[in-house]
Amino acid sequence: MTEITRRNALKLMSATLIAGAGVSMLPGMAFAAGTITVLNWQGYGTDEAWSIKAFQEATGIEVVHDYYSSEAEMLTKLRTNPGTYDLVVLNAARCAQAMAEDLISPIDYAKVPNISSVAENLRSNENFNKDGVGYAVPWVWGLTAIAMREGLPKADSYAVFGDPAYKGRVGLQDDAVGAIAAAALLTGQDMNNPKDLDLVKETLKGFKSNVKLLWSTEDQWNKSFAAKEFDVAMYWSGGAVRSRRVSKLPVDFVVPKEGGIGWVDGLGIPVGAPNAEGAHAFANWMIDPKFYVEWATKAGAPASANTAAMESLPADDLSRQIHKPEYISSMSIMSALPDDRREAFNNLWQEVKAFYAE
Amino acid sequence: MTQLGRIYLLAILIFLYTPILVMMAMGFNESQLYELPFSFSTRWYVALMDNQQLLKAGMNSIIIAVITAVISTCLGTMASIALSRRTFRGKSLLQLLLLPPIAIPWLITGTAMLVFFYWSGIGRGMHALLIGHVALAIPYVVLVVGTGFSTIRADLEEAAMSLGSTPIHAFFAVTLPLLFPSILGAALFAFAVSLDQFVISYFLATPGYSTLPVQIYSAIRKGFTPEINAISTLLLLGSMAAILIFARFAKPGDVRDKR
Amino acid sequence: MRSDAILNDAARGSSDPRQRRPIPAWVATTALLLPTYGWLTLAVLLPLLTMFVFSFMSATPMGKTPIVFTLKHYRAFIDQPYLINIAWTSLVIGFWTTLLCAVFGFLAAVALARATVGRMRETLLVLLLLPFWTNGLVRVFSWTMVLRENGFLDGVVDMVLPDIGSISFLYTRYAVVLGLVHGYLPYMILTCYIALSTIDDAIIEAAASLGARWWTILLRILLPLAAPGLISGAVLTFVPVIGSFMEPRILGGKVGVTMGTVIEDQFTQAFNWPLGAALSFTLLAVVLAIFATFSGVLRRGTTA
Repeated sequence: MTEITRRNALKLMSATLIAGAGVSMLPGMAFAAGTITVLNWQGYGTDEAWSIKAFQEATGIEVVHDYYSSEAEMLTKLRTNPGTYDLVVLNAARCAQAMAEDLISPIDYAKVPNISSVAENLRSNENFNKDGVGYAVPWVWGLTAIAMREGLPKADSYAVFGDPAYKGRVGLQDDAVGAIAAAALLTGQDMNNPKDLDLVKETLKGFKSNVKLLWSTEDQWNKSFAAKEFDVAMYWSGGAVRSRRVSKLPVDFVVPKEGGIGWVDGLGIPVGAPNAEGAHAFANWMIDPKFYVEWATKAGAPASANTAAMESLPADDLSRQIHKPEYISSMSIMSALPDDRREAFNNLWQEVKAFYAE
Repeated sequence: MTQLGRIYLLAILIFLYTPILVMMAMGFNESQLYELPFSFSTRWYVALMDNQQLLKAGMNSIIIAVITAVISTCLGTMASIALSRRTFRGKSLLQLLLLPPIAIPWLITGTAMLVFFYWSGIGRGMHALLIGHVALAIPYVVLVVGTGFSTIRADLEEAAMSLGSTPIHAFFAVTLPLLFPSILGAALFAFAVSLDQFVISYFLATPGYSTLPVQIYSAIRKGFTPEINAISTLLLLGSMAAILIFARFAKPGDVRDKR
Repeated sequence: MRSDAILNDAARGSSDPRQRRPIPAWVATTALLLPTYGWLTLAVLLPLLTMFVFSFMSATPMGKTPIVFTLKHYRAFIDQPYLINIAWTSLVIGFWTTLLCAVFGFLAAVALARATVGRMRETLLVLLLLPFWTNGLVRVFSWTMVLRENGFLDGVVDMVLPDIGSISFLYTRYAVVLGLVHGYLPYMILTCYIALSTIDDAIIEAAASLGARWWTILLRILLPLAAPGLISGAVLTFVPVIGSFMEPRILGGKVGVTMGTVIEDQFTQAFNWPLGAALSFTLLAVVLAIFATFSGVLRRGTTA
């Protein structure tokens, strides 16, 4: 009896080995010519299934994704995986850092014809350019502000994060820059260069009894909101539209009197990208009005950097209503931080998180 | 007393299995956001069949585990022969050197491997994962095979030789068959260690080459659907099956217990 | 290489190999050991050495930043005092996890050894150990579905006591400890059971016939006899727990900040490998101190 089972086991093991060796050759074939690897947040435009399918039909290029859960992780992934990614979505505020570390290469705008209708102030944004050379295609802009459960009185200030009425009902973003920006705006400071960091720290610490969750991704935000883990949270403008429309969640997006925390996301091509040609084509696709309108109306999106794309959006569309054109000139926009300030921000946020965890 | 003991064991079993069963059940729930009430659906299993990234990672896990089992069993058995059947100076030091892969938190071993492989140009990816997994599995193999050795009397081999058998013949005719269950047990053990390994894989995987646990972790952090439940269910059932096969070979309370 | 070793055996003839130690035997031993120890050197020892060197660098040696050697990362606990709180949290989580595992694991081992026999015991042992061999990450993920608000636990509570509301405790330290206990309990059951299975029934019968109550037997006889198993189980639980990062991340949410997550952040997010290395070695020093404390018992436990 044991003899037989032993022999069977050997057979089984060798069969597995052979099967394994056979299958290991498959992925190599699947990833042959015409692939680009995109590094982005999960569920943020580039990975819409219908768009990837249409893009592949139009160009023959297959789009695969890798995701990050914070902008710091995005940079580290670029640093430790040279020659892996073809296109990366990066916040303008992080772009300067990526340029300084030689992580992204100049864009060949001739291969991105749609750039012609991109707003000039975005295209020449100092964070996307170095020595007159552009390093990223401006893609979308939006704002981080407050999202609330439908039916609750609409908050008019970031002070709502400390409002005793929402004890244990608040979700903040686990991001040093975003959290500090909200506290800086609340205390009347420049969010990119708050003079009184101690005040920022104390303000954030003051939210402690309200903070239920530090979220890092949209997916996590949706799941927690659906499970009624919080009622009020920092959130992205485009995310709020998607949560409402795609996930059918009762979310209201509110911009407080201190103003939203603005950001611009660009598309960069990492140094050593194996398929820079395909990456340029996909970047062009991403700022095409056709893609944008479909993305914004089917799912929900921040505002396109492409003026033509914004204009082709129906006037009553939620994405358009949330992103009022005047914001782009009136709100504060996240900009590049010098190394020492970035480190100070990171240490401050680490300390606040440790305080929340106590 | 006996009754109380059995009720207690039942409670422990409920504690151990409840989350696993809930996780499996949620793989059959319609809602993408894991909302209740439960409504039965196999859509996530259907979606899984199209998820190349997860399927490929699952295949990678199995391939890595099989190769790890083969290499670590060969190497570990050889070392075990020397450690069990020979006397030499520095033996206890060598035995002590088997401990780091087990005793140092994997977080530290894993990050150290990342630093060294990066700095030395070995890089990351499949070969790096194999180097790491084999190193983790070897100590277990040496222990399991060593336990097997301790149950075989050395004088059997000598008796065979005194009856005219050559040492090679004695080893293959007497020792190896007796040792075989332990070696097979060690191989399955190594397979399970590798299949379950997450921490080291996490630091050594690349965007293009990762294993299932790494994919599951990054999905949990970056966004997931109940497809994760579906593949986890398959993974759990797979490794449970492997262990049940193992348990049939070496009776419980045999090889593993003497570790 | 194995055949080399055996050829050497052959050269020595049939006399007892352990009495004579000619040079070929030494060569054979080396040949048998070299692959394993070469591999471990490449995969474990050299990496640890490299990381030790890294821990003295001022920045990750990649890109354009000039590198100088510094001790500043080992000063992190002084420069960033909140790290002390985090380290303390990790130790507390490790302590509670180990304690709970020890209590429940020991009792389970006793129940297994005293209240079951034969096939039933075998089956139960396999069932108890089976989860240990399933993916730890998947098990932690499973708990999120049980513990979250309006999850399985809330559903059950709502069925029994509809008015009590949510008792969800996901994203608390309790959830982290619970997940860790779930992960390491089978280990503790195994080590305690091994220690208990060597106990002679006659001792317990003798004690019982002398009128000892069951708790006296439990505390005075079984506990001391199971001590080696308890201690090796405790060390083998505590060590991985204080280095854990995915359990606190997934189950702890905002309170899930431990030494493990801080170290992981240095490698995957902040890109401060030297600081991560220095923190790792600090953690390693703690682990080694624990090993040194219990080394005698451990040696008995691993060679028994």
